[in-house]
Amino acid sequence: MKTIIITKGIEYRWLRDIFPGRHPLLVTLCNKPFIEFLIDFCILAGSTGIRIISDEVMSDVEKHCENGSRWGVEISYANLLPTDNVQKVIEKNSRFCSNERVMVINGLLFIHYDKRSDYRSFFASLPVGEVIECSNGNISLTGAASGAEHQEGAPPLSLPVVDGIDKYYRLAAGILHERLTHYVLPGYNNEPDCFIGRNVVLQKGVSVIKPVIIGNNVQILAGSIIGPGAIIGSNVIIDRESRVSESIVMDNTFIGEQLDVDRKIAEGSLLIDPESGCSLTMEDPHLLSGIKQPTTTGSALQWLAHRIAAAWMIMILLVPYLVIKPFLEWSGLLKTKKIVYHSVIPGENVSLTFASIEKKSVLGTIALFLSLDRFTWLFKVLNGHFALIGCRPVRTDQTIQAANNNLGLYRPGVFSYSEAEKWPENDIDSDIVDHYYAVHSNFIKDISMTQKALFNRINQESSI
Amino acid sequence: MTIIEKNINNFSIVSLRGILNASSAPQLKTHFEQSPENQPVVIDLEQVDFLDSSGLGVLVGIARKKKAASAVFKLANLNERVKKVFEITQAYTLFDIYDDLAAAACE
Repeated sequence: MKTIIITKGIEYRWLRDIFPGRHPLLVTLCNKPFIEFLIDFCILAGSTGIRIISDEVMSDVEKHCENGSRWGVEISYANLLPTDNVQKVIEKNSRFCSNERVMVINGLLFIHYDKRSDYRSFFASLPVGEVIECSNGNISLTGAASGAEHQEGAPPLSLPVVDGIDKYYRLAAGILHERLTHYVLPGYNNEPDCFIGRNVVLQKGVSVIKPVIIGNNVQILAGSIIGPGAIIGSNVIIDRESRVSESIVMDNTFIGEQLDVDRKIAEGSLLIDPESGCSLTMEDPHLLSGIKQPTTTGSALQWLAHRIAAAWMIMILLVPYLVIKPFLEWSGLLKTKKIVYHSVIPGENVSLTFASIEKKSVLGTIALFLSLDRFTWLFKVLNGHFALIGCRPVRTDQTIQAANNNLGLYRPGVFSYSEAEKWPENDIDSDIVDHYYAVHSNFIKDISMTQKALFNRINQESSI
Repeated sequence: MTIIEKNINNFSIVSLRGILNASSAPQLKTHFEQSPENQPVVIDLEQVDFLDSSGLGVLVGIARKKKAASAVFKLANLNERVKKVFEITQAYTLFDIYDDLAAAACE
């Protein structure tokens, strides 16, 4: 048997809003990513191949699950259009399905199952059609049954509706209190109701009250009380004399000293009350904050090249800018307005003077030829808010696509890659080019693309 | 780049082989300019070794023209390299992508 897992972005928008830094399929439930529960279930049901299909970027999921060798199954990935129905998806993936029995998990579902039950013969014996459904989606079967008989009664199988933070919390609490033995969960489990990950440091005087799940690389400082009902993620520090009970502390979170976290979800500097859905962002990093992961230094050379090139352009263009600008303003060919854009630094904004020059006179032509409308933007490259060439900057009244933000595809530039290519006709085309070069660029390519962008701008009638 | 065209079920199956980049993109563009705009087309990308943004640009342009002429336009057999480019650029949102040529060439 094979399995197709279909998820559409619109189904998990709420998860993106609450946990913006990660793909919804990688949001953890009891320290286990959502997708791993689905993969475990597919394997229990007898699947040898799993295809994860989404209408959104899945690079993070692909990086996490790879080809499935960790589970002994073959995992592949495909995309669909938001308008595609199940039948269309099966048609588009007909080579993968190849006349075999296929289980279709349609929707971002959490499946209640029990790892000790026999799902293999159960699914092999079921007729074609829907097996189970909930408001989040359904599980169905296509392809002929193998003819195998299922001897026992139907194994436990249900689909709890998870469509909000309150239900997410109740689901996690339910697993922790009642179903810990039903799933394979990460961590050492030498005694019941207690899972502890690698590299966990419990200082003197720490109390751990079961049931509890603790992730990897966790430091719990002296005098803290963890549990009952605590789920502590990975890379977490809980400072001294704090108490965490009936709560979820997500990965990469710091809990300050002498805090009492009860029936809450802590994610970075965000504290959520799951019952009311209210959330509070802590400004004081000593109380609650995110733990930053080290960033790669691979792009350092690229940024250095951008800064040197920007400094060189400033030196070259300074005199023309100072001479031509007053004349353009006087003749009304230069119009300026302030616009605030998202910076490349997450959470920061940058205010820029958006200048539009019309190519009606010799001076206007020269100004456009020299890209003087972007002159003041070059200083933002020096302070690291902008790249010399990158994607088109997004105004703060617009939202950066979450997927792009996560993948590091948002790198606004003084000049955009789409200006360097001649084919883009609309914003979608420009996005394609910007995304392509955001991934495939290097500092040598960036310099040649900047030259192309400068050259293409010469032919523009105006800089608007 | 080599372009091989054949007909299956009234679909024009265009198989591309080699590199689809800025230098070979005009060749593909010219090929489609010579064929009727309302002809249903499936492009087989299995043998494409490299695809860059200019190559994508031509595919987007062809898709746009076919849509304007209400003609069916599908892509099939994307290999891992090509699939990666479609994923990164999110260009998959503009195309009907099939993993099997025979399935794509069905009404």
